[in-house]
Amino acid sequence: MLTRFLSLDALRKRALSKAEPGALHDYLATPLTSKRTQCEALSIVSLDLETTGLDPSKDKILSFGLVEMQHMTIKLETARHQLISIEDEIPEASAVIHQITDDQAATGVPLDEALPELLQRLAGKVMLVHYSAIEQNFISAACQKLFGAPFVIPIIDTLALARRILEHRNHTIQTGDLRLFNLRPRYNLPNYKAHNALSDAVATAELFLAMASDMVPQPSQCQLRRFLTR
Amino acid sequence: MEIELVEIRDFLAKRPPFDALPEEQLNQLPKSLEIRYLRRGNLFPPGDATQGYIYILRSGAIELRDEEDNLVEKLGEGGIYTTDCQLIDFGRATHGLAAEDSLIYQLPCDLLKVLRKSEPAFDRHFAESIRDRLKQAVRTLKDNAEESPIAQMTVEVSDLIKKSPITIDINCSIRQAAQLMSEKNVSSVMIMEQQKLAGIITDRDLRKRCIAAGISTDQPVSQIMTTNLETIQKNTMAIQALMTMTRLHVHHLPVLQGDHVVGMLTATDLARHQTTNSAFLASDIRKAATVEDLAIVSERLPDVQFQLANSNAAALHVGEAISCITDALTARLIEMAEAELGPPPVPYAWLCAGSQARHEQTSHSDQDNALLIADEMKPEHEAYFEALAKKVSDGLNACGYVYCPGNAMATNPKWRQTLRIWRKYFNTWINKPEPMALMLSSIFFDLRAVYGNMEMFDELRTDILNKTRGNGIFTAFMAANALQHRPPLGFFRTFVLIHGGAHDDTFDIKHRGIVPITDIARVFALDQGLPPVNTTERLEAAAETKVLSREMGENLVDAMEFIASIRIYHQAEQIRKGLTPDNYLSPEELSDLERRHLKDAFRVIQEMQDAMENRYQGGRFL
Repeated sequence: MLTRFLSLDALRKRALSKAEPGALHDYLATPLTSKRTQCEALSIVSLDLETTGLDPSKDKILSFGLVEMQHMTIKLETARHQLISIEDEIPEASAVIHQITDDQAATGVPLDEALPELLQRLAGKVMLVHYSAIEQNFISAACQKLFGAPFVIPIIDTLALARRILEHRNHTIQTGDLRLFNLRPRYNLPNYKAHNALSDAVATAELFLAMASDMVPQPSQCQLRRFLTR
Repeated sequence: MEIELVEIRDFLAKRPPFDALPEEQLNQLPKSLEIRYLRRGNLFPPGDATQGYIYILRSGAIELRDEEDNLVEKLGEGGIYTTDCQLIDFGRATHGLAAEDSLIYQLPCDLLKVLRKSEPAFDRHFAESIRDRLKQAVRTLKDNAEESPIAQMTVEVSDLIKKSPITIDINCSIRQAAQLMSEKNVSSVMIMEQQKLAGIITDRDLRKRCIAAGISTDQPVSQIMTTNLETIQKNTMAIQALMTMTRLHVHHLPVLQGDHVVGMLTATDLARHQTTNSAFLASDIRKAATVEDLAIVSERLPDVQFQLANSNAAALHVGEAISCITDALTARLIEMAEAELGPPPVPYAWLCAGSQARHEQTSHSDQDNALLIADEMKPEHEAYFEALAKKVSDGLNACGYVYCPGNAMATNPKWRQTLRIWRKYFNTWINKPEPMALMLSSIFFDLRAVYGNMEMFDELRTDILNKTRGNGIFTAFMAANALQHRPPLGFFRTFVLIHGGAHDDTFDIKHRGIVPITDIARVFALDQGLPPVNTTERLEAAAETKVLSREMGENLVDAMEFIASIRIYHQAEQIRKGLTPDNYLSPEELSDLERRHLKDAFRVIQEMQDAMENRYQGGRFL
């Protein structure tokens, strides 16, 4: 609980000292993006994980999808979708949601192969997610398990931003209001039918662009700290 | 292989020009895109672009404006902006902004260049000028035409006559002619004097005028031949030839190319090639004994139009076919009236005006007509022509050609006049043009004789054209009149975009698409003194003069054909649903490609109107 009072960079340094040599160590050795960075200069990675459930201690990561943003522009050439193979069978309920079947998951790579790539892509950048608890906790748990140290990164969470905006406007928040696909129409964003980690990452990135232009109409006044979760 | 970013791929796949890309290229395309979000009120294209892009609007709206801040174009979902890749697509637009919060895909010009190089079908979309695109659109319409029997109605006479002309010199004997006819196994022969057609004789003439009349077969053919021949040009449509035969009660029509004889068209030739439908229609019109009979026949007219549209006959030909049938109905009504009232006291001609005169009618439009009567007419003859006009006009109304709301009909004494008075009318309209008078009378500048004394009408028409030719003030008034109806700018979502940026749910394709072109063609025809009345023929003739460039002429002809086709399909769909055909088109009826082609057609009209405004200083007089 002490971590709450430490700066993000201090957390990074502490984790770096614990991390075993390897992908996480390399990742943590890269300085984090400063919270005073101008939006135009930000490198953001929009990330979505599909998992077998909500509990990082029991559940598994099934896939990740990501896309990078520079100059507040989504670069689809950076888009990446990776399935992760797991030993256990996929529970039926989550298979229905993600439409990832065992057969497909079998084409994936094990998490210990996928995680280094993910960390490399995130190094020095800002992580953009919708509902940060999942991505943050699952990656951190994986890092603890594989490399013996937690995962540290500046996070923009569009769900937290949405809650902030709606509360600020005195909206009563109903169940489901903060879901990604219920927020998008508020910003005149199209409906996406596909539901996989990559399309959700793209959808989140678009939602953030819309929110940012709404929250900070003047690009010159746009700094990372306006959007950070903590 | 799993297709990544399938949503974006699918979005592009159904939109031109990306729909022209092969599957593999299309699957790769999303990866080359970048996505931006423009808040409402922000500049478009974004000022901070580091390189040239083609922009594709995913959601939202973008307005493009010209130097004077007039709206030129409004892009909605799927709208494409290519100007920054050196492709001039919005010629007059100088700046733009997001009218709504907009999500935008951008594709670097360099990548576009690579795609265009490797995919010719995709490239064509960008490389083509409006002119080529419209040509292609019209060609596609025609290529789709099935070889359905009904389409045969629109073949030309020259396609139906197979044999070379059978002719004989005027000094030959009747027997020689009969021998030639037997030898060639034909039912008629054309009689030539020098190189010109002097007459024809048919099997019937041999029977009635020679054998039954007891004339020696040693006599020259000139003794029994029919002179004062009705002839047709080889590019006449079969349906029109059929109607002419029906009207004249003849079975043979010499076919000419200019003055040169190229063949003989027989009723048998036509019957072989006509569909039962049109052949029945023609013979039913001929056989009709009462107005009620004709009204029953004319109930089939929407079906004929529907079938023609469905067989993808060119709009030009559909209008011609419908006009021909109306001509035939009118002629039959006049014959009935004359049978009842007795022969006319003095020669006259029944004139049709407007779309029927231009051969551009769609089924059951209003009737516009007039009577041209010889100057020998005495006051006591007035009753005859009044009665004739009433019978024919009532008959047309019973056949579905409702009375003209503007009362431009032969039943109106004002439009039932002698040649002298008609000359005076036109003289006034042409030499003292007034806006209101022109609006009312412009209908009479599209005029054609349907029945009666054609020479008298030719005289009037020559007189009119001599007066309008090179008449600057009159032309300026007509030009100003031609600028009254402006085409829409284009489409935006489910709306029609009109000048000033307002939206309409539907648009009147007649007044905003067809009328502007017919108006333009009329100005040229009158200014240059060109005889054609049909819009396409007027434009083609005008393109031979200095007032209209060949390219613009072709563009206008293609624009007319495309717009008229869309109108005919629209009406065919209504007929199919059992509705009354109208001219109100909703953008939702149109495919993306049709919208695009229509927009091209609108732009052609607009360019021409702008040019006309300058040339004739059109705005000055209204």
